[in-house]
Amino acid sequence: MAEKKMIYLQPTPVRIWHWLNALGIVTLCATGAQIRFPEYVTLFSEYKSAIILHNTAGFVVAISFSIWFFYYAFVARSMGKIYVPKADDIKVGIFRQAKFYFLTYFLGWDNPHHPTPEDKFNPLQKSAYLAIMFVLVPLVSLTGILLTNVDPLRGLIIMMGGLKILMGLHFLLACSLCAFLFTHIYLATLGHTPFAHFKPMWTGWEEDLEEHLEEHLEEHHSPVAH
Amino acid sequence: MKNVLRSLLMWLCTLLVFLFPLGAIAIVSEECQDCHGDMDTVGEELFINVGVYDNTAHAEMGCLSCHESVGEEHPDDGVEVSKANCLDCHAEIEEEHQASAHGGNATCGDCHNPHRVHGLTEVSGYDLNQQCANCHQNSSVVESHSEWLPQADLHVAKLPCISCHTASEDYVIILYIIQQESEAVEGDFELSDHADLQTLAGDRNIQSLIDLNQDNFVSLAELRTFNRNPGYEKMRLEATLTPKIVSHSVQTLDNRWDCSFCHTSGTEKMQTSFIALPNAEGTFSRIEVERGAILKALNGTPDFYMMGTTRSASLNIIGLMIIIGGLLMPIGHGTLRFLTRKNRQH
Ligand code: HEC
Ligand code: HEC
Ligand code: HEC
Ligand code: HEC
Ligand code: HEC
Ligand code: HEC
Repeated sequence: MAEKKMIYLQPTPVRIWHWLNALGIVTLCATGAQIRFPEYVTLFSEYKSAIILHNTAGFVVAISFSIWFFYYAFVARSMGKIYVPKADDIKVGIFRQAKFYFLTYFLGWDNPHHPTPEDKFNPLQKSAYLAIMFVLVPLVSLTGILLTNVDPLRGLIIMMGGLKILMGLHFLLACSLCAFLFTHIYLATLGHTPFAHFKPMWTGWEEDLEEHLEEHLEEHHSPVAH
Repeated sequence: MKNVLRSLLMWLCTLLVFLFPLGAIAIVSEECQDCHGDMDTVGEELFINVGVYDNTAHAEMGCLSCHESVGEEHPDDGVEVSKANCLDCHAEIEEEHQASAHGGNATCGDCHNPHRVHGLTEVSGYDLNQQCANCHQNSSVVESHSEWLPQADLHVAKLPCISCHTASEDYVIILYIIQQESEAVEGDFELSDHADLQTLAGDRNIQSLIDLNQDNFVSLAELRTFNRNPGYEKMRLEATLTPKIVSHSVQTLDNRWDCSFCHTSGTEKMQTSFIALPNAEGTFSRIEVERGAILKALNGTPDFYMMGTTRSASLNIIGLMIIIGGLLMPIGHGTLRFLTRKNRQH
């Protein structure tokens, strides 16, 4: 068995950001459910508490999103590299990764993608995060901001087709984020151990199993050569 | 009990009326209006808007029922004119009123003008709050309410104060037609009055603007047609909740404070609604709207959404399907993963 190589994958600010978002989004889903279905969901004794918590969590997530956006787009300038799939990713990477998740994973092969700090996400992850971080989260935040300022922003809301459309959009986007959450957490258990992917998000360090992999490649004659 | 009292009162009033020679009353009332219905003769202070007065419940009684001391020589006799006490005829309200925070603080006349009295169904939410704004300044209400009420500005702008401050067990949803006054895209909306709508309707009845077949019932299809009509681009429907019954026991109620009265009462209460159309005299008439219009996702009332109670069932189903979609991956993949777990044991 090859020696374990540890790589520092998730710097502290990223981890704080991630868990803040996680807490925020779970809170938003729970309070949101109570706000929409108050007769059925009664996590908080008072409706008002659910609303105030929802607004606060929404505010935190929106701010945290903005910080993320400005950091990667203007400070680190690595947004394109990390989050935007390359031509190669789209042509081959996505299919290779999908094939892994839906076929070769079951056969016991290893993940064709090896995260490095410069190339954290596999092509499927990139495409998913692109949709989540550039479409879902900004839209759900914007509709949320409009919905918490209905009186002052009435003109804008009417331009968008009215409160009902805005509300419907916010709700469906939120459902999509919630759906993503399930998939996201599940996929995170697909490491070489169920918790392998959770660890780096907590400690920052990931075990790289490159050598490990090479041994197995011999046995499997995997077409996914390196 | 109330009804018995009311009919007794009516009967007494009628009796009162018969104590006067009937013909005389009509003549006298008209006489009064010759002077008091004309701004130039009596001046602004003493002017009575006859068009409005004649449509009130008080008009039938005649001026003299409340101003008994007006004699033949009026106004030259110098006799001070008597003014009836509301409680002579509305004694049943007194108790409620006195027991409330307004007993000793606000008189009947502070909120009502005896020459323009209207029932709850005939006045707009704006008119209702106008009464309160004389003493409770709008800006300070918003300020004090925002300490505990999310979006207090919105609540105060859209709701009659009495929906929260009187102990009505139930509320009704009333839709009003509003219109954008200025050309600016973000211009403010104002309640459309009769004249505005008449201009739009031309020589048709204004009811036909929204109740297309004029059957005193607005169907969902008619609502949709109104909302989508490009000719009514500047018009919208806004909604408010008014109490089902009038009460003068002004108070602050727990179920308004914890939002449960409106927001957690379930979708059932949201089924019934009315459209209030302005009459030429400044009052409103209600037309019933098809059940469930408020809950429709798109074209019922695009601008009225009340969290917790006006959710649309079809959107709920779509949302549920999206979430189930998200669960398919863990469940489906997880099952296969479990079945093939041996392959990964190296
Ligand atoms: C000829 C015109 C005229 C007619 C007719 C007339 N009024 Fe007057 N009324 C006046 C004027 C002028 C005053 C103001 C008198 C004054 O200030 O001394 C007045 C005063 C009053 C006031 C007292 C207002 C106040 O606050 O002091 C009342 C009430 C009133 N009229 C009611 C009536 C009623 C009821 C009738 C019909 C039965 C009537 N008037 C008929 C001209 C008229
Ligand atoms: C339901 C009782 C009632 C009826 C009916 C009534 N009034 Fe009055 N009127 C009052 C009261 C009460 C006041 C005193 C209002 C105040 O002081 O604010 C008043 C005040 C007035 C005033 C003084 C100016 C004002 O508006 O305060 C005039 C003038 C007047 N009435 C004329 C009339 C005339 C003319 C009629 C019939 C067309 C009429 N009233 C019918 C109760 C009545
Ligand atoms: C002479 C008797 C009498 C006097 C005095 C009187 N009212 Fe009335 N009032 C009536 C009658 C009769 C009605 C109609 C029946 C009903 O709704 O109770 C009525 C109705 C009303 C209504 C409801 C109007 C509607 O369309 O439902 C209001 C509000 C009202 N009165 C306020 C007042 C006020 C305020 C005063 C004092 C300024 C007053 N009344 C004095 C007899 C009177
Ligand atoms: C704080 C304001 C306020 C005061 C003070 C007040 N009212 Fe009212 N009253 C209202 C409102 C609001 C309504 C409902 C809308 C309307 O009819 O104008 C109403 C309605 C009424 C009605 C019609 C009830 C119905 O069932 O349609 C009567 C009658 C009435 N008031 C009489 C009185 C009398 C008499 C007094 C004095 C004891 C009085 N009001 C004091 C605000 C007030
Ligand atoms: C004539 C002036 C006046 C008018 C008009 C008036 N109010 Fe008041 N209101 C008062 C005063 C004075 C108090 C007592 C304030 C206090 O106790 O500090 C009061 C108290 C209240 C309170 C507090 C009750 C409590 O339990 O502490 C409420 C709620 C209220 N008013 C609502 C209304 C509404 C709703 C209207 C309109 C339908 C209205 N008021 C119209 C003068 C008015
Ligand atoms: C959403 C329901 C709601 C609406 C709408 C509303 N109120 Fe209140 N109001 C309340 C509640 C609940 C309280 C008690 C707050 C507390 O105990 O902290 C209150 C308190 C008050 C008080 C006494 C304490 C204070 O804040 O000064 C007054 C006066 C008052 N409201 C007047 C009004 C007036 C006037 C309007 C209309 C412009 C209005 N309210 C609209 C729910 C409402």
